[in-house]
Amino acid sequence: MVKSYYFKDRAGKKMGINESLNEKLTALLGWSLQAIEAIDKLNRPFVVVGPPEFQAFADSNDINFVAWQFERLNEKSDELYQKLADLNTKLAVPIYEETVEWAGVLNARFQNDPRIFNRSLLLRDKGLMKRKAQMAGIKVGVFEEAYDKEDVYRFLKRVNEALIKLDGDVNDPIHVKPLNKAGTVGHRMIQDPKDIELMSADEFPCLMESHLDGQEFSCEAFIHNGKVRFLNITEYVQLGHSNFIPASPSLEEWRPKIREQIEKLVDSFEIKYGVIHPEYFISPDGSINFGEVAARVPGGHIFELIERAYGFSAFQAQILCSDPDTPEDVLEDFFPEEVTSAKGYAGSLMVYPRVHIIDRLNVPEELKEDPYFERHDMFIPVTSKVAERVGFGNHYGTIFFFGDDSGRMRELLKEYEDYDFYL
Amino acid sequence: MAAQITALTDKFTQALERLESAKPFAKSMYQTDVFQTSIELAGSKEGLQAIYEKAPLFDKAGVFNGGPWEDASKLQAPFVGGSFQVKGVNSIIELLSEMRMLSIAKGDYEHEKVSASEAKDFLNEVLALNLDLLFPPETEASRINTGEHIERAERLFQFLGEELSFNAIAAKIVSEIDRLTVQRPIMTSRIEKMINMANHMTQSNIEEESKQALLKYAKALAAVSPLSEKYNSLREYRLALKEASESEWAKEAEAFASSMNETGLVSPYHAIFIRFLNRANPDLIPAALELSETGTASFNANTSFIHDFIQLGIHPETRQSIYGLSRMLNRGVLTQDPIIPGIRRLFELDIHPKVKKALLKPEYEQGGITANGVLLAGIASVLGQPLGVGQGLNPTCQSARAISLWAQHGIGQLLDLLARAARDNDIDITFEGEVIHSSQIEGGVADEIHYELDSVSVVLVPHLDKVYNEMMKRTFLRGEDGHKWVNPEFYGEWIPRGFKNLIDPLTGAVVNYEAFVRLFYATHHPDYNEGYELIYPNPVGIYITNVHGKLLGLHAVSIQRIDKDPEGEYRIYFYNPNNDSGQNWGKGVEPSVRGNGELEGESSLPFAEFVSRMYAFHYNPYEQGDTYMVEDSIVEEVRKMAQESWGQDYTWLS
Repeated sequence: MVKSYYFKDRAGKKMGINESLNEKLTALLGWSLQAIEAIDKLNRPFVVVGPPEFQAFADSNDINFVAWQFERLNEKSDELYQKLADLNTKLAVPIYEETVEWAGVLNARFQNDPRIFNRSLLLRDKGLMKRKAQMAGIKVGVFEEAYDKEDVYRFLKRVNEALIKLDGDVNDPIHVKPLNKAGTVGHRMIQDPKDIELMSADEFPCLMESHLDGQEFSCEAFIHNGKVRFLNITEYVQLGHSNFIPASPSLEEWRPKIREQIEKLVDSFEIKYGVIHPEYFISPDGSINFGEVAARVPGGHIFELIERAYGFSAFQAQILCSDPDTPEDVLEDFFPEEVTSAKGYAGSLMVYPRVHIIDRLNVPEELKEDPYFERHDMFIPVTSKVAERVGFGNHYGTIFFFGDDSGRMRELLKEYEDYDFYL
Repeated sequence: MAAQITALTDKFTQALERLESAKPFAKSMYQTDVFQTSIELAGSKEGLQAIYEKAPLFDKAGVFNGGPWEDASKLQAPFVGGSFQVKGVNSIIELLSEMRMLSIAKGDYEHEKVSASEAKDFLNEVLALNLDLLFPPETEASRINTGEHIERAERLFQFLGEELSFNAIAAKIVSEIDRLTVQRPIMTSRIEKMINMANHMTQSNIEEESKQALLKYAKALAAVSPLSEKYNSLREYRLALKEASESEWAKEAEAFASSMNETGLVSPYHAIFIRFLNRANPDLIPAALELSETGTASFNANTSFIHDFIQLGIHPETRQSIYGLSRMLNRGVLTQDPIIPGIRRLFELDIHPKVKKALLKPEYEQGGITANGVLLAGIASVLGQPLGVGQGLNPTCQSARAISLWAQHGIGQLLDLLARAARDNDIDITFEGEVIHSSQIEGGVADEIHYELDSVSVVLVPHLDKVYNEMMKRTFLRGEDGHKWVNPEFYGEWIPRGFKNLIDPLTGAVVNYEAFVRLFYATHHPDYNEGYELIYPNPVGIYITNVHGKLLGLHAVSIQRIDKDPEGEYRIYFYNPNNDSGQNWGKGVEPSVRGNGELEGESSLPFAEFVSRMYAFHYNPYEQGDTYMVEDSIVEEVRKMAQESWGQDYTWLS
């Protein structure tokens, strides 16, 4: 408590300065040095809302900071709005999944439009999200919410009955995932009834979906005033492991159809400002199935890859598009032409140790000498014991590639997917 | 190769440039690339050269931003070795830090706080302290266990060795060995390791003075006498001794004794020689030990006892105890009635299996030495070098201090406790009327005891540590520092009952500092205490500070005596159980171990400087001068030194 009072004082002083400049603050929800650097380079006054452990760092670097624990929801949650309003904040930009509805509620109050909050909730409940998409005529797989294991057994059985499987045939898998977690956190694939027994009670309620085959990809669409200003397509080589930008020509061929789908999504979800990060599958017959959508910075180093390929900061793009006051010409100057302006293909491979104790690093010379290899960030971690993995979360290191042939890029990412970089 | 280095250098340079253009808060995002490209470059000598060429830019770019290496003036050479031993990112940052230092040392980079000569000193010390990286062992076994990070460190040290003169490093090593040996520790393995490593340097082109010093030390550990030089194995030496003439024996005795007295180190041949004399010509033993008049008298009065003692306890593996034996005899302590029977009891004591296991290190077992022999060798060392007792790697300064105190003034008690612990694996000490048995207590100050200790400590420390801890526990709720009651009962009646601590136990703040200083002067400084002399060592509590005066923690030392140094200034001479008494405590406070009137094993500080690091002491209220006679200027001087060092971490109420 003492800390937050201290805050007010400190913040109060800052407010004076900002008032005199007559410029309102943008609040970044979630601690990300990349986002901070991006907004700082835009020369916009800002405040970071993040966990209290970053207070000291923020203070020593003169970063305007409000300590806040987003996971704690209670009657005091209004305090955050008060604090930010006192600082003369006009806009909140969510960085992490958990901050999306906070941004919703804050922007609803800053802009006096309660619907903004309700719209943000659509993006935070995967069950609600799917239902909304279905109602808007977007193609989705079969899905249901599950409240206990019985529901999962039944869903697995019914889906496979519908596929006319006989006893003894191998089941088609189903997927279960938490309603409100980022990306692949907590994601399970279930093919056999005994897989269901591995689920624990705290995984419920969750969303169940039928399995969709096909090429998987994600889009990063920067939206301003309900219009798609820039659409990036990220090609997944292996979900949660590797992807590259822009997509290969065979996937980019579908761009007009994909764009159509994105616009449908934006209209039906009434998304007006910011970035969205939906995932889709293209089935062999050419139909595009919607997976899910998030309204935050995507994982998989996608923003970094966009910057590497196109030369603009996706973090800055998100901030500019989140602000209703950004003038049209600024946006027009900011975004380059899609696909054609890319300087090459930028890819990343996320590495997970496959040993329990890390003894040494093993980065092969031929990889380091490959012209597509740019850099990696793997060190032997301080604690050599490898943490248990949740979903696809927590990769230990990333290798970045860059080159001008998407085929070679895909080949490289595939080649090293199963390589043991940690021994 | 060259093309590859150029490509890597380009990547490294670009990474540095990106880092430099980042704002301070964002530096950490760009450091990774600098570290990664450095790792690649550090794989070859040419790459190291490329890193070196950019070293003057490191600080400006922010390579060390936000980490412990940030301020070059705050780095400490003794910590460098540790960073190179770990596999993670720290070992590469450490490498870059050495490169920055080298560029300061060579004048390629001007640092605002570190001068070229300071940087040179730093690097010389780093090299001197890490000789195993400078001269990597060439055995297969050590190769297998090293990793890429060690090879990289070795490559760096090779590079540094070529850039700096071996001369300066050799001189540094010699002064380091001098500094350690002059304190006459019982445990000499660390010194021996340094000497053996530095032996490599005697073949390179270094100054004659350093070379001679290193050769002297190397000889002291090996063939230091005329005959042993000729016969280079223990067995052949022993055979040669039998054939040698009496005058040759005399020469052997002289050579061994003078090397031992000069260095405090004992050659294994010396042990062979003493064992030989013990049978063939005991009369020459006093010469081989270079005994004083007292020592010789002590020897002559107890010939059969000493004969048995040598037979059981002195072997090539326990050779260091020869030094202890000579000092023990010179002290004349064997004339005290209970001592001889107390030691004789250990000759045939039934030693508890667990204690036996702790005592019998592999080399003792290989040499066929009994646990009783090991214990005897240990008692010779402790009684001969009471100030050479060390705590090793354990936080057991209290126990080490107790063993040292008893070896000086309570030998009977020490021998009793030793016999009790060795036989029963238990000791008991009475505290406020209640008997505390070590065997019935779980846990001491130390979670576990590292056994790189002298053999008396090996037996006693696990017990003493538990008893001490238990006593302190029983005083927890008294609202005063428990040492007040614990020390006199733990150490014994040598400790006066008066006690003063400068911390208020309720608030944890410094209170009444002026009274603390005045009282210490009035009870201990000869100018203010009515001339009472310190009779027994006084266990005091001090704040240990690092080379920058920053508080590291609490530590226990004993004031041995207070006397004028050769310059006529009053100094406090003290025993520090950490066996590295020459550590720099920062802000100009640097205990000395020689040259200021110190006896073997003592370190010393000018009176006021010592007081400025002290937080608790015992005193005799009946032997006290007048506190108001202590000049205000003295109190202020001490207070200033205290507040500028450990005092930074405390609240001062008055």
